[in-house]
Amino acid sequence: MFLDFERIWPSVPYILQGVQVTLAYTSVSLFLGFFWGTFLALFKVSHTKPLVWVAGFYTSIFRGTPLLLQLMLIYHAIPQLTGYNISIWEAGILTFTLNSGAYVAEHIRGGINAVDKGQMEAALSLGISYPFIMKDIILPQAIRTILPSLVNEAIDLLKESALISVIGGADILWRAQIVASEKYLYFEPLLIAGAAYYVLVMILTIAARILEKKLKTT
Amino acid sequence: MILLENIHKSFGALVVLKGISGRIPRGEVLAIVGPSGSGKSTLLRSINLLETPTSGKVFVDNVCINDKGVDIRKLRTKVGMVFQQFNLFPHMTTLENVIYAPLRVKKIKRKDAETLGKKLLEKVGLKDKAKTYPAHLSGGQKQRAAIARALAMEPEVILFDEPTSSLDPEMVKEVLDVIKSLAHTGITMVIVSHEMGFAREIADRIWFLDEGRLIEDSMSKTFFKAPKTKRAQSFLEKVL
Repeated sequence: MFLDFERIWPSVPYILQGVQVTLAYTSVSLFLGFFWGTFLALFKVSHTKPLVWVAGFYTSIFRGTPLLLQLMLIYHAIPQLTGYNISIWEAGILTFTLNSGAYVAEHIRGGINAVDKGQMEAALSLGISYPFIMKDIILPQAIRTILPSLVNEAIDLLKESALISVIGGADILWRAQIVASEKYLYFEPLLIAGAAYYVLVMILTIAARILEKKLKTT
Repeated sequence: MILLENIHKSFGALVVLKGISGRIPRGEVLAIVGPSGSGKSTLLRSINLLETPTSGKVFVDNVCINDKGVDIRKLRTKVGMVFQQFNLFPHMTTLENVIYAPLRVKKIKRKDAETLGKKLLEKVGLKDKAKTYPAHLSGGQKQRAAIARALAMEPEVILFDEPTSSLDPEMVKEVLDVIKSLAHTGITMVIVSHEMGFAREIADRIWFLDEGRLIEDSMSKTFFKAPKTKRAQSFLEKVL
């Protein structure tokens, strides 16, 4: 057995163009998932029981079923149910946002509970309303403490975004498979795809470490 | 004026307040003293409803504040509070801590708020710490900043919940001096404190609590000279 990188060398730029696609799916879903997760976390810590139940049910569904299943359901079921012809991009962003929102919500809920309860009392004693207490006092402190775990969420999402290739999203993995089937060489393009993911994940990991150190010192 | 009518408070099976009634006239300085676990802090926290009494009524300016449908937030803008653990907002500078509530609740202009904030910081001796974050302040400075924050809402009443209990001994005086400077300026002050010397010096009236009951309500001079109850006598012998 030998590796024949020379034959796929001309296709490497094509595979690496998938990096921007992968990053686009990851960053947009993470951004939207962060807001959606914050929203769900506020449900979870509210004193209104039905809101707590709704948010709890939601997260249990999205954390309790495979992401690939969720992606396929959204991509195939939405056209069947609504007649709307959903694009790969839309289906990907919607699925990843809904899914990462469920995970982010759990992190943020933990962060909110970790904020000293004296902060809430001090704000209440000044006559601040609950929405402003959350927005100005509690959430900034909660998010600060969970920043490292949000970076880990970004890493998970980046790797899981490879699932988009299953429904035809032209990301790193999908392009590697195209090259593979064109050249009848599987190992080499997949190795290159793997290396690309690894480098991206390492960059985020190092960023997380630096962030964690910075948070510790200030 | 604050009026308490038969306040009871339980946490589950634990009964903390067992029917407390009393009256605090406007502008008076009241110190609530008593042994640990007698319910002092819980009683204080009932006055701005950080604790909701299990039964009984709290009146501030003749309005029963624990009636349903009362705007608690409006009440709380009139009743400031200073906490044992300071509870400054760590992600805001000292000045931002002070002006946050006037900006958010009273919606005054930022420029006016900053003028007010700087004036208050000067009053508590923290003029040069306006741009400092709480993490870089000493305990005494934190508590003085917290007092400035409470004053920024121009409250009619300030509640002090053991304001010097978590301070290093050498910082107690600077905080007590600030509190003293506020006494008898028209603002009603209710202080829960273990500093008996301070209570004696500053308070017009003393409430002595024991096991959830208000067992002595005396003018300060009377209380420290000749406490009426045996329980207060033995307490004072131990702490003075």
